[in-house]
Amino acid sequence: MSMQDEPDVEETEPGAVDYDALEDLLGDAVVDRETHLNAEAFVVRGDAVTDALSTLKDQGFDHMASLTGQDYDDRYESIYHLRKYDDAQSEVSVIVPTPRDDPSHESATPVYSTANWHEREAYDLVGINYEGHPDLRRILLPQSWTGHPLSKDYDQDKPQIVTLEKHKNPIEEDMEVEATGDDLDTMFLNIGPHHPATHGVLHLKTVLDGEQVADVDPDIGYLHRCQEQMCEKSTYRHQIMPYPDRWDYTPAGILNEWAYARAAEDLADIEVPEYAQVIRTMSAELTRISAHLLAVATFGLDIVGDFAAVFMYAMRDRDIVMDILEDLTGQRMMYNYLRLGGVVWDLPEPREEFFEKVRQFLDAVPEKTDEYHNVLTQNELFQMRTVDTGYYAHEVAKDYGATGPIARASGIDYDLRRDDPYGYYDELDWDVVTREGGDNYARLMVRMREVEESAKIIEQCIDILEDWPEDERDLQANVPRSLKPDAGQEIYRAVEGAKGELGIYMRSDGTDEPARFKIRGPSFVNLSGLHEMSEGELISDLVATIGSLDIVLAEVDR
Amino acid sequence: MASSAPLVDHISGLLNLEGLLGEVIAGLLGSVLVAVIVLLFAALAGPYMKRKLTAAFTDRISVDRVGPYGILTIAVDAIRLLTKELIVPENADRPAWDLGPMLVVISATMGFAVIPFGSGIHLADPQVGFVYLFAVSSIASLGIVSGAYASNNKYSMLGGLRGVSQNIAYEIPLVLTGASVVLFAGSLRISDIVAAQSAELFSIGAITVPAWFGFVNPFAFALFMVANLAEIGRNPFDLPEAPNDLVAGYQTEYSSVYFVLFYLGEFLHIFLGAGIITTLFLGGPTAPITALNFIPGIVWFIAKVWGVFFFTQWARSAVPRVRPDQLLDIGWKGMLGLAFVNLLLTAVIIGVIV
Amino acid sequence: MIGVLKSLATTMKHALGGETFTVEYPDQAPEVSPRFRGVHKWSQERCIWCRQCESVCPNDTIQIVMDEDRNGEQYNLHVGQCIYCRLCEEVCPTEAILLTENFEFTGDTKHDLAFNKEQLKNVPWYKDMDPIQARESDREAWVGEGDGEVDYQ
Repeated sequence: MSMQDEPDVEETEPGAVDYDALEDLLGDAVVDRETHLNAEAFVVRGDAVTDALSTLKDQGFDHMASLTGQDYDDRYESIYHLRKYDDAQSEVSVIVPTPRDDPSHESATPVYSTANWHEREAYDLVGINYEGHPDLRRILLPQSWTGHPLSKDYDQDKPQIVTLEKHKNPIEEDMEVEATGDDLDTMFLNIGPHHPATHGVLHLKTVLDGEQVADVDPDIGYLHRCQEQMCEKSTYRHQIMPYPDRWDYTPAGILNEWAYARAAEDLADIEVPEYAQVIRTMSAELTRISAHLLAVATFGLDIVGDFAAVFMYAMRDRDIVMDILEDLTGQRMMYNYLRLGGVVWDLPEPREEFFEKVRQFLDAVPEKTDEYHNVLTQNELFQMRTVDTGYYAHEVAKDYGATGPIARASGIDYDLRRDDPYGYYDELDWDVVTREGGDNYARLMVRMREVEESAKIIEQCIDILEDWPEDERDLQANVPRSLKPDAGQEIYRAVEGAKGELGIYMRSDGTDEPARFKIRGPSFVNLSGLHEMSEGELISDLVATIGSLDIVLAEVDR
Repeated sequence: MASSAPLVDHISGLLNLEGLLGEVIAGLLGSVLVAVIVLLFAALAGPYMKRKLTAAFTDRISVDRVGPYGILTIAVDAIRLLTKELIVPENADRPAWDLGPMLVVISATMGFAVIPFGSGIHLADPQVGFVYLFAVSSIASLGIVSGAYASNNKYSMLGGLRGVSQNIAYEIPLVLTGASVVLFAGSLRISDIVAAQSAELFSIGAITVPAWFGFVNPFAFALFMVANLAEIGRNPFDLPEAPNDLVAGYQTEYSSVYFVLFYLGEFLHIFLGAGIITTLFLGGPTAPITALNFIPGIVWFIAKVWGVFFFTQWARSAVPRVRPDQLLDIGWKGMLGLAFVNLLLTAVIIGVIV
Repeated sequence: MIGVLKSLATTMKHALGGETFTVEYPDQAPEVSPRFRGVHKWSQERCIWCRQCESVCPNDTIQIVMDEDRNGEQYNLHVGQCIYCRLCEEVCPTEAILLTENFEFTGDTKHDLAFNKEQLKNVPWYKDMDPIQARESDREAWVGEGDGEVDYQ
């Protein structure tokens, strides 16, 4: 940055938030103030949530990143993690405690549309009621579930009994509603959970008017594997790390592992050696490439049909990345490569061979992307199908908390690698890709450009690694075998996953296992805006939109 | 005047069959011969080549385990499909549900009766062969909609509706473009149309190029190719099935034998479409240059049919599927207009110049 | 229209190129990286029954049974349940449990995949690859094995 740009540095310095001023602004809504490791947190009265959040939104905190519901022995608590799209390091949290006997408080949905799904999840798993929520139903668990499994009163051993009567046709009610509505011309259609276009076990309850989508309501949770609870029952040091691989298995495993590693390292105050950071950066970008290639491949499949050549081309190229990752990590998808304080292995010997292999792939990237452009994006029929379909307006995308390529395709310049730097990214030369289109085409183009940017990052990492002095290759910090962070610390940390902001909230209670582990899956949030993109369009566009959203159901349902 | 059933007459002459009974027997033998050729294509070679071609376009090997070059995979597949349980959906509208796949197959096989395969294999050659051809091949949409509607499945119904709207939208330009060929040939009789194409178009030295309507009117040829893709439901117009939006479209609820019938019908239609294109635009069984006339006509015919089949498979791996509304836009606003322009221009050219 | 033709041309280029990337699997054993994590191999001679692998295992795949004198009796590992994270190998002080590169294992039922110690001993190496050599070159020094061949049986 040149000297001329310096003067307004005070205003633009990232992460500078005047919390006292915010507290004054919020006035008597605030009853207390806590300090989390990532930001200050205001404890707000349950009947002042909407006001407090809209005040904060006016102050620029327009991104409700996540909502964590949890319960203590004496209270339930919702934590709204807010940050700014313009400055990701400016964070603030809003804690809303509610009594144990009546856990309910005001909903945040009037302020942030994205709160809709977050609050449904907190209601479903923890059992907090949100007053004024437009549609407070269970989201991950079946509607017939009794109890809230992450709450302390929940009896794990009590079997869930669903009577045959109740189970006969779980959507019969919906169908009746449709049939008795004013508009009798509509047809209710279940897309999924077993449908070729839903990329996993996603169930879309759609109401069609002809072939036009009148209403779409994603029904998720088929792949819910209690990942949060499993992490709460695992040790920080070793046992949690294999699980992130299983959130976004496209495979963007190392990016997910990094999300956990970053949060846990900040929680336990571990310094990662620089050499390990470079390897992390390189391997994470490799997984990003493979995840994006899969997105391009399956999107091609959705548009072109079952015989799409581009699907095989992208899969073939992704296989090369997976070979490289196999050489590095020992596994093609479930890497378990990162460790707290570093990585598990150095680059494979002989190093030259590895560098050669990676370089060979990187050199071929422009040629490969050209090929995809030839087969897909430059094809007029493809453009007919994707341009101006699945339109996600800039403001709407912000309101729904969109992140990652989805947000960047709607012109939101938000990339945590740059805005909230971690790893080795701020030392490297690369660009954040944004596009204004906001449609299916723009989302695909952003991914394809990001593949090229990732290749740029990897190339620089390879150069750095090649020149790294042999005796300074520190792979891991000295981390005790049994890691017990101090009790009562809370942290929300996110990294830029393949699909967007992958955040982890953790609370320590002095043991070697986290007391609360919350995953903010970017796919979950991105999917919540689906109806904004596809209502009024044709069913083919709905399918294309799901494809371009590039959701991974494992990350949606966790 | 030429015989109206060349192959039948040929066989009855060969075997000394006489009278009505003899004609019936000869007719049966002729139909069997044609059916065997057609089924070899549609049931065996078609699915096999579909796999091999797709594999070639996507850098793979495809089937190569069972039999030489994996050709027996198709037999294995056939046995697998035929021995599967035939699942009849609850509340299926029974006779209509059974008729659907049969109609699709019947409509396609009937079309082959008037296609001249060359080397004398031409089952029937009625005065209105051209009209008959398009009439029977469009019965298939009836089979699709009956099967789709009777399945009592929403995906099937959407697929059936798409199939019908698509067939109506593209049948008209298809027939209109075909009619321009009729104007050139001056007859609705298939053998006359083929004969008209064996005339000399131009010659360079010893190479004489025949007047195939594909050469004479490439515009009509291109139009016909595109409309034919829609007619047979292949990319970019494979909407009635559209596996990514509609699971399997009209055939979602079909399994086992009925699935095989649909599958077979689909291939029969591709080959029938290819046969029609070959007959109307590529000179039927005539050689591309007269010097090569010593090679039997049936070889040329088969080569041309496979060429068209190859093209459909090629488009399948490279061309995206369009949306239903875009499909109808292209059909009603684009193709129909172009087909009329083509017909009028042809009529003017033939009326004024020739 | 040009774009459509371009797509057609690109796919045709591939068809004419004739290059394939199919690995004809059972006929042709795929190359795996020396670091690849496959089925476990266990050595009774080396195992000191410290139970570290059992306690580090994230999903209770390893089950060890000991008598009251803390002598090892059973070492059971469910290869169908395992998530192949290699943490057992990482914490093992004697390299008694190893993940070979062998990825080929089948069973008629899931119970067939619950390996006892005899089955674990007899897991074959994949293409005679020694995982230790490739995974951590300085590990042997740490274990104190010295030079020479190591017999894992």
